[in-house]
Amino acid sequence: MILQAIGAGYIYGYTVMEATGLPSGTVYPALRRLEREQLIRSQWERQAIADAALRPPRKYFKLTADGGTALETSRQRYPLLAKLEPKQEVHKA
Amino acid sequence: MSGAWLPQIVLRAASTLVSSGRRADWMEEWLSELWYIPRRKALRFCFGAFRDAWWLRRHDADCRRRRPFLESPLACLAFLAAVAVMGCCVVLSVPGPGRGPWPAHFALRDIPAGCSTTLLLSVFMLPAIAPLGPRPTYRYATSFACRLRRGAFFALKVALAQPILFCLLMVWVWIAPFAPFAPFFLFAGCLMTLRWILADQSRRCPVCLRRLGNPVRIGAPSQTFLAWYGDESICSRGHGLLQDPEISASYSARQWLDLDASWRAFHSEPAGVRQP
Repeated sequence: MILQAIGAGYIYGYTVMEATGLPSGTVYPALRRLEREQLIRSQWERQAIADAALRPPRKYFKLTADGGTALETSRQRYPLLAKLEPKQEVHKA
Repeated sequence: MSGAWLPQIVLRAASTLVSSGRRADWMEEWLSELWYIPRRKALRFCFGAFRDAWWLRRHDADCRRRRPFLESPLACLAFLAAVAVMGCCVVLSVPGPGRGPWPAHFALRDIPAGCSTTLLLSVFMLPAIAPLGPRPTYRYATSFACRLRRGAFFALKVALAQPILFCLLMVWVWIAPFAPFAPFFLFAGCLMTLRWILADQSRRCPVCLRRLGNPVRIGAPSQTFLAWYGDESICSRGHGLLQDPEISASYSARQWLDLDASWRAFHSEPAGVRQP
């Protein structure tokens, strides 16, 4: 679900929580595990962008090639995952 | 979310689980996420940080490389002294039972008498507990000075445990009228405290009294008739190895192997030299 959420454009922790409905204690360790397994990679937003938006910098997540493959396999196994669509504009780092 | 102090306190508390090297980054990440969380959901959101911090602690290479808990003998004594002081404070700050031999309020001068009672209890319990924990058999005899130091260290630990046991005894006296099972807790508390002291003693280097670390698995259960299997721990200063077989047998007793000075060059922290 988390891979699907990131693939669907929910690219930072809070939005992944909102999209999946999972609690923070599940989402953040799962993001770390996915990153450790190199299915996703993270990148901090530039401070200047965050300052311009008057908010703290975000840590964005992005699918890697392996993550994309894993997501595709999961989608074939669980077709309902594809129904998780982005509800908001995707912010770019 | 600025101004919400309680979630930030929860995050600070959770951050203590994260290794110091990663704590600042971890905190920044959670504070950045907290900014987006509505105030009514913030506390629940922050409680998830404990799980994240715990996961990070379990999988962090820095944490896995950490030294054993209370490795240094001084740290061990300081820890016991701190818990003993806390125990004394508990006994002094709450009203005494006020029945039988117990005063209505304990004064500082009552503590030694109370500790003497628990020391008597310990003297009876220690010989009963000692066979439960295997003691290392030293293949090479250690010097008299080393044995004296070990003995003094053990005596100090037992002495520092007495205020803790006294505190447990008082807790038992207080709750005994309401809880018929209280004596079991007292007994279990005393047993665990003394058992920990013995176990800690047997896991220390006989030369420098530092706790042994870096345990490695040796052998396999399927080879039990050919060779011993169990754990082997090493002194961080290179004084020797403790071989701890999983099943004690005539050919595989728990034993300490002294390493001579030529081995110390292989250790990151040679004897007498403290790495920064």
